[in-house]
Amino acid sequence: MYPRRARLLLPAALLGLAASACAAPGSPAGSTTENRSWSQITNQANGQTVDLWMYGGDQQGNAYVDEVLTPAAAKLGVTLRRVPVADTKDAMTRILAERQAGSKDGAVDLVWVNGDNFATGKQADAWRCGWSSKLPNMKFVAPNDVLVTQDFGASVDGCEAPWHKAQFTLVYNSARVATPPTSMSGVLQWAKDHPGRFTYPAPPDFTGSVFVREVLYSTSGGYAKIPSQFDQGAYAMLTPKLWGALKDVAPSLWRQGRTYPRDSVALDRLYAEGEVDMTMTYGPATLTKLVADGTFPATTRVLPLDEGTIGNASFLAIPSSAGDPESAMVVANLALSPAQQSIKADPDTWGQFTVLDTHLLNQSDRARFDNLPASDVVPPYDVLSRNANPELASSWVHPLDEGWRRAVLGSGS
Amino acid sequence: MLLILGVTGTALAAVVATSLGLLPLVGRPRLSIAGFTSLSGDLHAATQESLLTAAAATMLAAVMGLTIATLVARSGRGVRLVIGLAAAVVTVPHLVGAGATGLLLSDVGLAQRWSGIPAAAWPELVGGRWPWATVLELAWKESAFVALVVIASVGRQYAALREVAAVLGAPPRAQWRRVLLPLSAPALASSSLIVFVYSLGTYEVARLLGRAYPEPLPVMAYRLFTDIDVAARPQAAATAVVATGLALLVAVIGLPLVRRLGADR
Repeated sequence: MYPRRARLLLPAALLGLAASACAAPGSPAGSTTENRSWSQITNQANGQTVDLWMYGGDQQGNAYVDEVLTPAAAKLGVTLRRVPVADTKDAMTRILAERQAGSKDGAVDLVWVNGDNFATGKQADAWRCGWSSKLPNMKFVAPNDVLVTQDFGASVDGCEAPWHKAQFTLVYNSARVATPPTSMSGVLQWAKDHPGRFTYPAPPDFTGSVFVREVLYSTSGGYAKIPSQFDQGAYAMLTPKLWGALKDVAPSLWRQGRTYPRDSVALDRLYAEGEVDMTMTYGPATLTKLVADGTFPATTRVLPLDEGTIGNASFLAIPSSAGDPESAMVVANLALSPAQQSIKADPDTWGQFTVLDTHLLNQSDRARFDNLPASDVVPPYDVLSRNANPELASSWVHPLDEGWRRAVLGSGS
Repeated sequence: MLLILGVTGTALAAVVATSLGLLPLVGRPRLSIAGFTSLSGDLHAATQESLLTAAAATMLAAVMGLTIATLVARSGRGVRLVIGLAAAVVTVPHLVGAGATGLLLSDVGLAQRWSGIPAAAWPELVGGRWPWATVLELAWKESAFVALVVIASVGRQYAALREVAAVLGAPPRAQWRRVLLPLSAPALASSSLIVFVYSLGTYEVARLLGRAYPEPLPVMAYRLFTDIDVAARPQAAATAVVATGLALLVAVIGLPLVRRLGADR
């Protein structure tokens, strides 16, 4: 009698678990205002442990967080724990699942995020909002900086604090490219003149996706011609020229455009091995180190474009399910401090560009930025970001990626 | 047993429910087959790619495994060395094998440098029109598995039976065809079925060595699952349902055949 009933207990329990998991998300939305003062927040943060979920494939980034940010946070009474993920989408999966379950003590306290992932979280109401304006160091960020108030066209609304800026850059091997092109259409023409020596990663890879958007800016006559929020009419009007240009150059690409490198890592490998003569990246500061340790050829140079390239910022966001939000805010403020931002901007440390407006800093802090080492490969940030184009809204990203797969890759419907 | 069924059943039910739109991450649940129909062309291409890779890898692994088993059974010498090597190959994870195969067979890989053929003329083995590199990596690893299973099942019986056949005047080729082959058939069939179903579900090998499009079902499912558009979840689940269904179909068709060859004796 007893063993038979017990045998039914386990399947019943599992079915119950399954049934409860099927409940529609009914948990309350992320809090939209932060009413406490900064000193109240720091008091509450004392002794908490922050789990920072961030992309774990960047050695320099990991070293910066482990060796510089974590001890600095410990001095403020906060324990910072870095949780590496292969892709921010893995962190998003966790956050969305915790949101769906209505968890209040989630495993993710702080996450490095921007663009489409931020928009996905906003769509699902998964972010704690209204807190970034409380951070004392936000006063060093220019209030009208479009890259910081809008995240890929989605209004930030205090739901995330800025951390780095990035600039999409084309990179070429000056020993093999005799006359470097000066515009995006020039790059495509160069590819046609040198068959098999150029390619780009297949969207939905992040870098491939932004390359397609750069070509869209070029074929549309500039980013001002494209509505920042996705518009079906604009898409139908502007994309035929885009697909035409990409299909036109495809036969001259590496492997005759029959296939594309799956991600930016694969493209970098092709460039390092000499199979192609150009690559592209969102993080040009890392180029100095790559050239110094011999991964990339010593004749690697940045290719500036007359019309400028896309720039964006990335942020630290706190999920609404976070268990230690106060200490997460303290860490976000620490990461935004001039001291940390200047350490982080050094190419030997991490090489991530600062989000701070150096004109708002005092003399000694500004000197930290002026004294950053110069490099042969990469021009200084203010030169690099001249003419920085803003990103389109993340609502454009998916249709463009899908459109590329259909029009250029030949994927069926 | 019940625990396995419980966990697997719940997982399968969740995936099927997601593919039918009943477990959305955002929005209200609504029953629909849009997850399947909106990508029917891609699903078709992905299924073909999966089946092609799995069939080629299985056939190659079976041939290579049987050859190794034949050599071992016939000679009797160096058995331990071959079994040791095969066991070592089996313990190498597919991810490591895929990485090594990529470095070996790519356009500027080791094989190209050793052969002296210029990089431009090197055949497109990695990420090319046909999944050569994927099939070769799977076949290499799984042939060791097939060889071990066949050797284990044939074992010492073969020596005695071969003597009888030789005494009755059978040449070596007939010995192989009439004695070894039927003796190893059940083990070969069952291990080939396992290799086929496994190859249908392989992710990391196809992801590293295959081309961007068309991609096998598991690679497509993961790409859709991690898509920035959360509305792509039903499509990802639909791909996973198709892959699982295909594997189950193959198992259902293959098991009676294997049983007929006497594998369960």
